[in-house]
Amino acid sequence: MKWRIAALVNGFKDATAYRVEFLFEVLGSAFVPAAIQWVLWYAMFKIGGANEIAGMGYSDMIRYTMVSLLFTQVRGGDHDFELQEMIRSGQLSNYILRPVGLVEFVYIRGMAPKLLIAGMALAVGSVAGMFFGISPGRLLGAMVMAFIGNVIHYQIGAALATTAFIWEEAFSFLMVKNMLVSLLSGELLPLSLFPKNMQWIWQSTPFYLYVYGPVQYSLGHWSHAYFFQQLAWSGVWLVIGWVLIRASWGLGMRRYLSLGG
Amino acid sequence: MIIEAKNVSRTFRSTKKAEGFKGALGLLLKPEYQSHDAVKNVSFSIEEGSFNGLIGANGAGKTTLLKMLSGLIAPTSGEVRVLGYDPFKRPIDFRKKIALVMGQKAQLWWDLPGVDAFDLLRAIYDIPSPVYKERLNRLAELLDVTKHLNTQIRRLSLGERMKMELIGALIHWPKVIFLDEPTIGLDVLAAHKLREFLKEFNRVEKATIILTSHNMEDIERLCSRVLILKTGEMIYDGKPEGLTKKGECRLRVRLMQKPTADELAGVSGVPAAAIKTPNGGPEADGEAEAEDEAEGHVDRDSVYFTTKVDLIPTVLQKLMAKFTIVNMGIEEQSLESVIQRLYTQA
Repeated sequence: MKWRIAALVNGFKDATAYRVEFLFEVLGSAFVPAAIQWVLWYAMFKIGGANEIAGMGYSDMIRYTMVSLLFTQVRGGDHDFELQEMIRSGQLSNYILRPVGLVEFVYIRGMAPKLLIAGMALAVGSVAGMFFGISPGRLLGAMVMAFIGNVIHYQIGAALATTAFIWEEAFSFLMVKNMLVSLLSGELLPLSLFPKNMQWIWQSTPFYLYVYGPVQYSLGHWSHAYFFQQLAWSGVWLVIGWVLIRASWGLGMRRYLSLGG
Repeated sequence: MIIEAKNVSRTFRSTKKAEGFKGALGLLLKPEYQSHDAVKNVSFSIEEGSFNGLIGANGAGKTTLLKMLSGLIAPTSGEVRVLGYDPFKRPIDFRKKIALVMGQKAQLWWDLPGVDAFDLLRAIYDIPSPVYKERLNRLAELLDVTKHLNTQIRRLSLGERMKMELIGALIHWPKVIFLDEPTIGLDVLAAHKLREFLKEFNRVEKATIILTSHNMEDIERLCSRVLILKTGEMIYDGKPEGLTKKGECRLRVRLMQKPTADELAGVSGVPAAAIKTPNGGPEADGEAEAEDEAEGHVDRDSVYFTTKVDLIPTVLQKLMAKFTIVNMGIEEQSLESVIQRLYTQA
């Protein structure tokens, strides 16, 4: 446990080594998807004259967008890109001889700023929730789900990063994965906007647990029972992610070349 | 024996790319592969507490061998045992007892000061706080970097960074240390301090060290045993003194005339193979000579005879009988020149 706490502290120090960069990371990237959504809703409802889409009015859409901001930033970092670069460049050698689990170590170091962001989002959400009628209890539960989503996101990314053992370069592959995640997590659009016959697509991935699920629970669209059922599903996804990592890294390490001197 | 390697080989496969656009297209559509044997059938064993030099020209397989010994990569064939473990299985106990320092690779976190990185390593290796503090102070003092412990790693000079890397590698007091060119890029003073430190660490802590270096001073001053690799094969395994033959030296003679190596051999009785002439004797092969000259070991106008010390008066007498000697001198055979010759011999 000791090294995990130390790695967390170390990761936090690393993430905050450059204050301005850290602030941009926390605040900057969340507003772009939000701005895209706002333009879209404005065009549909105010210019296009629509009253309701998939059961949601203009104010519902704006509420969705605002609450999704709280969870988008917790969604997950780029540790999978870091892992694939480490495999490609040979930097992985710095970690694999240390007596710790490599994939876990990289995750813990990288999650430190996300924990801070989650805390900040929770505080901001609780204050804002008082005005918009969002229960702090639901917000806390939603944040737990978003954080489990963060772990699943890393697990999937870490497993996919091992393709770099075979292809040497997996950057574009991970980019495609991230684009899919943006679409299927509910970060860009509420997933209820998917056509009825295509709902199964997002329902069969764990990505909706990152943003859409937490937003639905926060806004009271999911019952407590349904929320706990989804939490149980996230547990299943965690196990699948763990198995994926064990298998992919076990196979991948046999091909590791430790290039670069 | 703390390290044992039996018939170890390692082959790498890489894509082969032809020149130009056609080559790029070919790589995309139908990549061709080539194999390269980096280490070939190498066997050796290392005693506990010894300081060993692993040397060879670029691409000889030194780093590949270190990577196999430390467990970063697996051998294609053969068997490696370090501290009784199979390194590639990387059991936690094994990882706690070894360290690998790669002079060309930063292992600490660039944006953090050394002290933060060491603190994380303290937790990783579960070192009790008082022991950690004592070790850190001792290492920082020995390496003269106490005042830099709170400076971001990326803001340090190359030498200071290398010293920090060493502290990071040694803070857990490993039993086996693999050092891959630790003095690369260091100035004379920094390299000297590093050498003194390694010598002391090996002597006091009885750590087994394998060092690769292109700097022969590192090898001469530190290693009791040298392993030389050439294109993946072990060509020498023994004491450094064994390379510089006892009682042999180099006689440097500058002559008025310009005789050939065969003529000089005929007159002096020294075999032509042991004579190096300005116009290209048997030993005057390109690379080694150029390096000798760059290092100030060669006077381009002189003839060099490698012979026994007690034969020198006879050789000189014979030469003076036939040629006019303008200048002369006797040189000890340096490890560097011997190794340069070994690298370039077919």
